[in-house]
Amino acid sequence: MITVKDLKNLSMLARIKISTAEEKSLLKDLRKILEHFRILTRLKTGKITPLSGAGFVKNVFRSDVAAETDFSQLNVDQFPEKEKGFLKVPPIFE
Amino acid sequence: MDLSELTLSEFCRGLIQKKFSAREAITVFFNKIEKEDVKIKSYLRLTKEMAWQEAEKIDAKISRKEKLPLLAGTPLAIKDNILIKGEITSAGSKILAGYRAAYDATVIKKLKVAGAIFLGQTNLDEFAMGSSTEFSAFGATTNPYDVKRVPGGSSGGSAAAVAANLALAALGSDTGGSIRQPAAFCGIVGLKPTYGTVSRFGLIALASSLDQIGPLTKNVADAALLFRILAGCDDFDSTTVQIQPSQEDYLEDLVKLKDRVKKMKVGLPVEYFAAKLDPMVAKGVETAINKLKKLGVVFKEINLPHTAYALDCYYIIMPAEASSNLARYDGIRYARLPELKSPISNLRDIYFRQRGEGFGPEVKRRILLGTFVLSYGYYDAYYLKAQQVRQLVKQDFDKAFKKVDVILTPVTPTPAFKIGEKIKSPLAMYLSDIFTIPANLAGVPALALPVKRYDLKTCAANNELPVGFQLIGQPFKEMDILALGRYYELN
Repeated sequence: MITVKDLKNLSMLARIKISTAEEKSLLKDLRKILEHFRILTRLKTGKITPLSGAGFVKNVFRSDVAAETDFSQLNVDQFPEKEKGFLKVPPIFE
Repeated sequence: MDLSELTLSEFCRGLIQKKFSAREAITVFFNKIEKEDVKIKSYLRLTKEMAWQEAEKIDAKISRKEKLPLLAGTPLAIKDNILIKGEITSAGSKILAGYRAAYDATVIKKLKVAGAIFLGQTNLDEFAMGSSTEFSAFGATTNPYDVKRVPGGSSGGSAAAVAANLALAALGSDTGGSIRQPAAFCGIVGLKPTYGTVSRFGLIALASSLDQIGPLTKNVADAALLFRILAGCDDFDSTTVQIQPSQEDYLEDLVKLKDRVKKMKVGLPVEYFAAKLDPMVAKGVETAINKLKKLGVVFKEINLPHTAYALDCYYIIMPAEASSNLARYDGIRYARLPELKSPISNLRDIYFRQRGEGFGPEVKRRILLGTFVLSYGYYDAYYLKAQQVRQLVKQDFDKAFKKVDVILTPVTPTPAFKIGEKIKSPLAMYLSDIFTIPANLAGVPALALPVKRYDLKTCAANNELPVGFQLIGQPFKEMDILALGRYYELN
């Protein structure tokens, strides 16, 4: 069963701050959902090949040619903090 | 003539015959939205400026007697998780409330080339996570047939807008039923194409191995028309495949349709009908089956033995993929919450607060669930197991399609439920996707269509709610389910 400590670890991994009130309801909901998943243990799946996608996809290659794109400018314009043409983020190392 | 009640093809004919101009049409829709959407709340915002400009262009083309593109002037609604360059695209989330799309989604590009006009962007559950639109950060949409009920979700805004004649048709996205379930709840048609048929480039991702964009329309012919425009290989989505849908337009020809449908065998999966169905749904689906039988369609009982496991399989795979896809909303890229705009020196604080304060409850629940099933020690028991079950679900369909051409099922276990009825119980909400999820897991196409033509006023007077049924087809054989659906609605 998922514990308070598990939930705290998950919120650290997912980088989501959760309040004490949220903690309570999340624990209740996640426990119920995980309990429901137990139905899958009824199925023996030992040698079945896992399916990660719909199964029609093939690997796709394209020529390695540089091309212009106009995708990024609007994203750059919206960047939260900028200085002298640089995108500014807080220091990664403390 | 009430322009808002037309189908796409009727609208296109009317425009060419100069019964109205594109500008007049847009005016009708914007006036209607202003008046009626106060109650339904299907639109999050309108794209008036762009719409007027496009309408002018179309009208100028008409006056110059130029050849018009296929969808010239048609007023459409777009689910707010599909990027329209320069417009805010929020995915129904506070975290993207101020985000302007940097490029057009491929489907938007295609619709622009086809001459369509976008009226605005429609409401959805936050990041398409939900089955009622109640998880939108901007409030719930209501069902045009009963405003106390949900329109379904996550493409609830798109479905409600089409059902209330606030758009001729709309785009939605379907990860586990998000086009088909709201289409059924709102008495309209919704198509989830085969995985890989329609480009996902510019669709804000929920679960990339399951997501597909598709049309929500007033009839099957319109769904087919839009599908032909949307489908096709795209350099920007490597999962799209090199298969073009048939351009042959036999959907208006009853004789050709009859010929095609008569050769089909339709499967009825025992497992779907053994499930507990609301009497209104059971009766509706039975009516549809009986009507098709009378029309000469041959039915056969089939088995999809792993149906009972599909829901749990999906609710492991989808959150796993979502937890990874949504990692990008970190407050550094994309928009940052206004309350975090003042310089914060600590990067971690930005991440944790942006995501903690920006994501709603359902999104947090699914990200944490996804993180859990992918974490060390649980991966094999949950994620790997779910992928194996997914294989079994797909194999069920492969086997069934050796015996039948199309599979008929209900779309939902109940008609539209009341607002607030399931919001507190995630599991109860998840169960409303029980009949739509398997098609996403297997990647096959599926069409939801109404049992009969529903009318807003008559239904309100009789306390009646729309019921739909689902036609599931073989991979890349959308034309089978569209032909059968069209034959049904024409008779």
